[in-house]
Amino acid sequence: MTSGGLTRPGERDRLIVKFAEIDWTFCLILCLIAGAGGMMMFSAAPNSWEPWAAPHLIRFGVFFVMMIVLAMVDLRLWFTLAYPIYAVALILLVGVELFGDSAKGAQRWLEVGPLRFQPSEIMKIGIVLALARFYHGVSADSARFSWWLLVPLFLIGAPTLLVAHQPDLGTAILIAATGLAIMILAGLSWKVIAAGIVSVLVSIPPFIMFVLHDYQRKRVMTFLDPESDPSGSGYHILQSKIALGAGGLLGKGYGLGSQSQLDFLPEKHTDFMFATLAEEFGFAGCFSILFLYGAIIFMALRIASISHSHFGRLSTAGVTATFALYVLINGAMVMGLAPVVGVPMPLLSYGGTVMLTVMVGFGLVQSVRVHRYSEVTSGRGALM
Amino acid sequence: MSEPTIFFSEVNEKQGAFTRRAFLMGGLTGAGLLALTGRLVHLQIVEAQRYQKLAQSNQFNFRLVPPPRGLILDRNGVTLASNRPNFRLLVSRETDMDVEQTVDDLATLVPIDAKRRERLIRDIKRAPKKAPVQVMEDMSWEEFSRINVRAPELAGVTADMGEVRVYPYGGAFAHVIGYVARVNDKDIESARKAGISPDPLLYNPGFRIGRQGVEKAFDIDLRGKSGAQKQEVDARGRVVRQDPGGDIPATPGKEIRLTLDADIQNRALEVMGEESGAIVVMDCRNGDLLCMASTPSFDANRFVKGLSVPEYRALAQYERKPLLDKVMSGTYPPGSTFKPMVALAALSAGVDPDIRTNCNGSWYFGGRTWRCWGRHGAQNMHDAIKNSCDIYFYQTALKIGPDGIAAAAHAFGLGQTFDIGIPGQKKGIVGSREWKRKNFRKDKTWHPGDSVNYGIGQGYINVNPLQSAVMTARLANGVKALNPRLIKSVGGVDRPPGNAVPDLPYPKELLDYVRGGMIAVANDTSGTAFRQSQLGLGDVLMAGKTGTAQVRVFRDGESRKSAGVRWALKDHNWYIAFAPIDAPRYAISVLIEHGGLGGATAAAPRAREVMRVALLKDPELRARIEKPLPMPELDEASLAVGAAPPAPAVGAPPPITPGAPQ
Repeated sequence: MTSGGLTRPGERDRLIVKFAEIDWTFCLILCLIAGAGGMMMFSAAPNSWEPWAAPHLIRFGVFFVMMIVLAMVDLRLWFTLAYPIYAVALILLVGVELFGDSAKGAQRWLEVGPLRFQPSEIMKIGIVLALARFYHGVSADSARFSWWLLVPLFLIGAPTLLVAHQPDLGTAILIAATGLAIMILAGLSWKVIAAGIVSVLVSIPPFIMFVLHDYQRKRVMTFLDPESDPSGSGYHILQSKIALGAGGLLGKGYGLGSQSQLDFLPEKHTDFMFATLAEEFGFAGCFSILFLYGAIIFMALRIASISHSHFGRLSTAGVTATFALYVLINGAMVMGLAPVVGVPMPLLSYGGTVMLTVMVGFGLVQSVRVHRYSEVTSGRGALM
Repeated sequence: MSEPTIFFSEVNEKQGAFTRRAFLMGGLTGAGLLALTGRLVHLQIVEAQRYQKLAQSNQFNFRLVPPPRGLILDRNGVTLASNRPNFRLLVSRETDMDVEQTVDDLATLVPIDAKRRERLIRDIKRAPKKAPVQVMEDMSWEEFSRINVRAPELAGVTADMGEVRVYPYGGAFAHVIGYVARVNDKDIESARKAGISPDPLLYNPGFRIGRQGVEKAFDIDLRGKSGAQKQEVDARGRVVRQDPGGDIPATPGKEIRLTLDADIQNRALEVMGEESGAIVVMDCRNGDLLCMASTPSFDANRFVKGLSVPEYRALAQYERKPLLDKVMSGTYPPGSTFKPMVALAALSAGVDPDIRTNCNGSWYFGGRTWRCWGRHGAQNMHDAIKNSCDIYFYQTALKIGPDGIAAAAHAFGLGQTFDIGIPGQKKGIVGSREWKRKNFRKDKTWHPGDSVNYGIGQGYINVNPLQSAVMTARLANGVKALNPRLIKSVGGVDRPPGNAVPDLPYPKELLDYVRGGMIAVANDTSGTAFRQSQLGLGDVLMAGKTGTAQVRVFRDGESRKSAGVRWALKDHNWYIAFAPIDAPRYAISVLIEHGGLGGATAAAPRAREVMRVALLKDPELRARIEKPLPMPELDEASLAVGAAPPAPAVGAPPPITPGAPQ
C-alpha cells in the first residue's frame, strides 16, 4: 500500500486499512509477555492448566480481540466520551465508598447484578482520557502555569483520595502518578514541578506516620528493614529476593523452582509472578522480559509522538505512563527496592482487572496509531 | 502557506513541549528499567550463591533421628534394659491451623476424651512452632495405620514409630538400673547451667532421660548421638520428599554390661517374697557384684510411661519403702554380724583368743544389766563367734575400746562409699572416740557403755547391706581389700576390676581365726546357723555369721522377743556368709528388715538359697559339686560274678528289669 493511496479521502476510514495500521509487532510482544505469564502459571500450579494458566490465557485472548476492536474505534469517539467515562468512574468510586463490598479489609469491589468489578480500574483509563481531553483544548501557556491547572488537579485529586480511602494505596499512587505524568507531559512549568517534588518529599514522613493504615505502615517499615521480621511482613520481600537470587544467571529450569513450587513465595501467581519466572529462568529470563516491557513502552511513546492530535499524544503517553509505572513499581517491589503495595506485573501476573485495564489502554493506544492523522476538534478552553 | 504556520504555531508549541517531555519520560523509564536490571545483576549474579543457600535451607529440613538408647546387659549378656517399638501420634502447630478442629478430627480416629482434648489443645497451642506434641503413644497397629492413611489431609499430624525403653524383668533391677522418664524443664536448665547448650534430643517428643541408677549415671553414654533425615518441605512445613542421600545416621548409645547375674538376682527376689530387705552377692576374688536386690521393688516400666499421682503416692507411702534402694541407701545396725570385726580388732590388739569369758545370760556393768540372748557358759573367742555370745563381745569391746574396732571396720569397708558407678550410697556410721567428739554437740565423750554396745554391733554403728557384703568378701578373700564393681564394661571397654587394690592391714592368721569362727557358725552342729547353712552341694560348704539388730529400746522386764509385735518394731535380721569355705568364691549379705525371730530364722535360709544358685552357676564349682564322691572299694570278686549290680547313682532312675513285677 502506497502512501499515495492512503491520502485518498475516506481511504483511512476503511476497516481493512485501519486493521493494517495496527502495530502488529506491538501486539506480538504483548502476546509474548502474556504467554510467558501463562507458562509460569502452568509451572507454579504445578504442571497444571488449572487454576491459573488456562483462565489467564483465555482471558488474554478475549481482551486481545477487544483491544483490536477498540483500536478500530474512531479517536473522535474516544474524545467525545472522555469526560463521560471519567464521570461514570468517579460516580462508581463514590458508589464503592457507600455500598462497596469489602474484601481483605478494603472496599474495592462493586457488584452490579452478576458483575463484580473495581471502579478504580476504570478510573485508570478515565483519568488519562479526561486529562488528555482537557489539555487538548488548553493553550501551551495555560498548560505551563495558570488558574486552569486547578481543573486537572481536581480531576486527579478526587479519584486519588477516594481510592486511597478504600484503602488501595497502590492504585491511588498509580492514578495520581499517571495524572501528574500527563500534566508534566502537557508542559507544566518546571518551577511548579520542582516545587511539587519538594513539597511531596517533605510531606512523606508525616504521611507515613499519620495517614497510612497500620498494615500499610507496617509494610513500609518492613520494606525499610525486611530482615527485622522474616516470618511476618518481611517474609514476602525476603522470599522474593531468595527466589530471584537463587535463580542465578540461567535459572533452575522450568518447573524446578523450589521457592515457588514449595509455596515459600507468597502470591507467586499474582504480585510475585516475576519472582517465579526469575527463579526458573534466572537473569536471562528476567532480562528478556524487562526488555519486552521496555520495547512496549518505547513503541507506545513512539505512537504518541507521531499522533497529530494533542488528545492522542497525551492519552497514549498517559496509558504508557500507567503501564511503565506498573512495571517499575512491581519490579522494584519484587526485587526488594520498594514496599509491597499490591501492584501486579501487567500481563505477566494473574488477575483479570489489571489485564482488562491495560488492554483497554492499549486499545486506545492502537486507536491513536490507527487514527494518527485524524483531526480532532480544537475544543479550546471547553470542558465538553 | 502562511496560514498553516499561524494555525500550527500554538499547536506546534504544545507538540514541541510534549515531544521534549516524552523524550524525558522515555529516558526516565529507561533509567528505571536499567536500575532494575542492575538490581537483577546484583541479586542473580553477584549474590546468587548466598540466595541459593537460603533457598536450600528453605527447601530442606533436617529431621532429628533419635539414636536407639544403649542396651543394659547382665554379665552373661542377658538383656536387662532394651527398647521396643512405639507407635506415636504427633501434632505440630502450623500457621493458621485450627487446633480444635484437628484434635476433633483425630478424636474420630483414636480415643480422646473431653478432658484429654482440652489438655491437648492447650499443649499444642503452647508448643513452639514445628515442635511436635505427642498426642498418643503405644497405639495399636490399626490405630497407627488409620492415622497414617488420613495424615496427608490433616495438616501437622504425623504418626511415626519411635522407640521406648523397656525393662523385661520389670522391677528386678529397678534400683540398680533405675529408669528413664520424660524430660522436664529442670533437665534443660541444668544442662544450661553446666554451660552446654541442651542436646536438641531433649526436645524430641518421646525422648526419655535417665532418672536413677545406671540410666542416670551413664545417661550420656547410653543416649548416643542423634542423626538427621534430610527431607524436602514446603512453606507449611509439610514433607514433600525424602532425600535418603543426605541423611546422617544416628549413633546408637553405648551398651553397658553389668557384673550382675540375672539368675542370681531373680532368685534373690524370689526368696525375699514379701519381705523388705536386701541381698548382695559379691565375688570374693575380683569384687564383682553378682546380685544387688532390694525388696520390695517397683516396675520401672511404669515410670517410663509416667506414673499417675495415686500410683506414686501408693509407692511412696508404703511402709516397706519400695522406692528406697536398701542395698545402698538403707543403713542398719549390723548387730552380731559386726562381731567378726570386733574379734579381729581384739586379736590385733593382742587379746588371747583362748582366754575364756563366762556367760550366764547377763552382765551387770555401768549401772545396768547387759543381757545375752542365751547362757553360753565359759566362751573363748571361737565359741563366742560360733554362739554369737553377747557377754563375750561386751567385755572384749570394753577391753579394747572403740578405736581399734573402728579401724577394723574401716579396713573392711564400713563407713565409706564405693565408686561403683551409680549414686545413692549412704556412708552409715562407724563410731570411735574422735567420731563422737566431732559429731556430738553436748556429750562428746565416748563412754564405756558405748563400747559395750559397740561390741555387739549396736549403738554407734550403722552399715548398709553393700558395705556388709564388702566386709564379708574382704574377710573371705583374706588378702585384698576388694572394691565392689557393678559396671563391667561401657561400650565394650572393660572397667577396672575390684581386686587391683592394696592388701588388708591384718595378718592372714588373724583372719583365719575369725573365719574359723564363722565356719563353725554354719558347720558346727551347735553353731547359730548350722541348720540354715547346709547347702547340700557335696563338699562345698558355707561359712557365715548371723545378726539380729534391735530397732527399739527395751524397758525392764519387757519381752525382747519379736514374736507378736508390730512389723515396724521387730528386729532386723542379718546373715553374712561366704562359700566355699576352703577357697572362697562368693560372699553374700542378707538383710531382712523387721524380719523373723532373730538369729538364723529369716536371713540365713535365704542366703543359702541364693548362694546355691551362685555356686551352681560357677562352672568350676559345678564340676566340683558334680564330681562323684569317692566310692567305697568294691569286692572285685562280686563284680566278676555279676551277682549284684552296682548301686545306682542317687537320683538316677532304677534300672528296668524286664519281666520283673512292678
